[in-house]
Amino acid sequence: MTIDTEPLKSVSDIERTTLMTFIPGRIAVMFGGRRWRGLAPLAVLVVLCVLITIANPNFIELRNLVRLANSAAVPLTLAMGLTFIILMGSIDLSVEGTLSVAAMVVVLLAANDSNGNDYGWWAVLAAVVAGTVMGLISGLVQTMLRIPSFMATLGMWFIGLGLSVYMLGGSAIRLNDASIRDLALYRFLGLPLAVWVAVGAFALAAIIQYHTRLGRHILAIGGDEDVTKLSGVNVTRVRIAAFALAGFFFGIAGVLAAAQLGQSHAVIGDGRLFAAVTAVVVGGTALTGGEGGVVNTLIGVLIVTVLANGMILLGISPYIQQTVQGLMIIAAVALSLDRVRLKIVK
Amino acid sequence: MKDRNSLTLSGTISRRTLMVSAAAGAATLAMPKVLRAADKPTLVTSIRSLSNPYHAVWKTGAEAYAKWAGLEHVTLVSEGNSEKGIADIKAMLAKTNGNMVLNSDPNDTPDARPIVEACAKAGAYVVTQWNKPADLHPKDFNPNYVSHIEFDGISSGKTIAEILFKTIGGKGGIVALGGLISTTAAIERKKGLDAALAANPDIKLLDFQVANWKSTEAFDLMGNLLTRFGDDIKGIWAANDDMGSGALEALRAENLAGKVPIVGVDGIKTAVDAVRTGEFACTVTSDPFWQGGMGLAIGYNAKIGKFDPAKEPPEHREFYGKAVLISHDNVEEYYKTNVESKPEMDWNDLWGRVTGAIRA
Repeated sequence: MTIDTEPLKSVSDIERTTLMTFIPGRIAVMFGGRRWRGLAPLAVLVVLCVLITIANPNFIELRNLVRLANSAAVPLTLAMGLTFIILMGSIDLSVEGTLSVAAMVVVLLAANDSNGNDYGWWAVLAAVVAGTVMGLISGLVQTMLRIPSFMATLGMWFIGLGLSVYMLGGSAIRLNDASIRDLALYRFLGLPLAVWVAVGAFALAAIIQYHTRLGRHILAIGGDEDVTKLSGVNVTRVRIAAFALAGFFFGIAGVLAAAQLGQSHAVIGDGRLFAAVTAVVVGGTALTGGEGGVVNTLIGVLIVTVLANGMILLGISPYIQQTVQGLMIIAAVALSLDRVRLKIVK
Repeated sequence: MKDRNSLTLSGTISRRTLMVSAAAGAATLAMPKVLRAADKPTLVTSIRSLSNPYHAVWKTGAEAYAKWAGLEHVTLVSEGNSEKGIADIKAMLAKTNGNMVLNSDPNDTPDARPIVEACAKAGAYVVTQWNKPADLHPKDFNPNYVSHIEFDGISSGKTIAEILFKTIGGKGGIVALGGLISTTAAIERKKGLDAALAANPDIKLLDFQVANWKSTEAFDLMGNLLTRFGDDIKGIWAANDDMGSGALEALRAENLAGKVPIVGVDGIKTAVDAVRTGEFACTVTSDPFWQGGMGLAIGYNAKIGKFDPAKEPPEHREFYGKAVLISHDNVEEYYKTNVESKPEMDWNDLWGRVTGAIRA
């Protein structure tokens, strides 16, 4: 007598899979299932705001909201650039290097306490151009030398950092140009100009992503590069353009950072890379590319900023703040991506 | 298809070319700059990085001493990498055949031991600053391990706290910004703050937060603290000037600069400027110019036999240096002698800034 074991085996396989996806599945149902998945980061943000407000009503004071917007300005501008790169499924590690180059250029060309230059707003233009050129080089290195973006931009990070260490002579140089400092100090409709610049950067990024060919091609490359190539898209050109675009946003962020701190030193970018990547991912843009976008990133940046602000308002000890931050990141990512659909988790 | 192949190939070739040229570049860098005369020792400075103002001034001090003494000087930078720091020193020992004087700010506490052992083995003279394990003593490596210099973080933290309290009239709330939690300097400076707080019961520490030594983090943190405490904040204590200047810019964005006094440690130029304008109440510096120059001077004088390390008292072997306080009273003078021009140092006054042996 023979028993056909084949059907039995496959049944047990199915059962195992069901079990493994049971818990995430339940969570998904709890939050309204797949349809509402895209709104999960927004829900996290709202819940966070409500909880912090209950604990400390100072949170929704106008003064605090202005401060929140102000501290979100630089990360938002940075994250706009990074979003396009992550959407392509690549990564740009040159964030800190490019930012410090831009901050160095603006401080050294505008009125400062180290040399006699005083080119005013031309310095800002030069800084943004410098950022864009850094991005352009990253893109060219990646596509022409065929080096993965991780390594190419890691190289650019160190090149940028080395360049600003050399140019600044290792010291902090003050920015004395009052009109550039006004980016941080002058207020229009109650908000510092830096916030308006960041809002402008967001608008520009949104237009590029949703209304231009470049934006769609970037998304398509992240979805499936081979298919995109076969559809006749010049992938190389799109990649170079995307990295240059990212550099452009990093350049703006560098100018804002220098204006806010009133000085530039080589380590002005320290910790910004990680904050930017966290914001992009927490917002729901997948590191694998092809999913998410600049609106997600806006919410991600707000989550990270509100969380930092909230932890101070709640008086959470600095010794455990990082732990809370880590927990929040895992929670936000767990909610925002459809884990059940993922076949492989690397 | 052929096109694509050749494209790939061209990529490979240029990458290889790049590698070859990179290797060639590295080899050029590794070549000795000058061939030394055998008799005069080389002065070697080993520091963490040139990207912070502190070590940049350190290097200036070292170069000033080398010029004064008429010796060749080499700066090694570890870039925060302990292995690189130690390997570079060993390479210098091999190159100079041990005929060198090293003034080192070891990247990390454990690094001091291999550095000292390598120097003692090669017959070089070494002075370490800031970091060494508690069980590593200059007296165990006579005569090569000449001295170890530190600055008392507790007393710095306490001094600036007392000046801050006096500036705000002896009562009210303050917030404190601490350095990277695990570092000795951060722990000691906070101890100093705590001691000053204990002696001034009318001062209330509203909150102690950590900004990891960075102005950027202090900037964001300060905005949040202003939300939480608002006008209750009468003064700001920062464990270093960089964080203090970040906090200052956050105040400036809210039109509070100069109204809430700040104190810090390090004496960086931004802070000195802020003391001049009254936005900082004071800052205290270990004087990296002195550290960079005098560390070499102590080592060199031992090397040429001006003094015998073995016969020096314990407070010349492991000591706290005297920190320089820069406040409203002396800032103009300090600015003239240290910022506008290079400081004049009496390099023969080896032990002038010894304040006592390091606490066990």
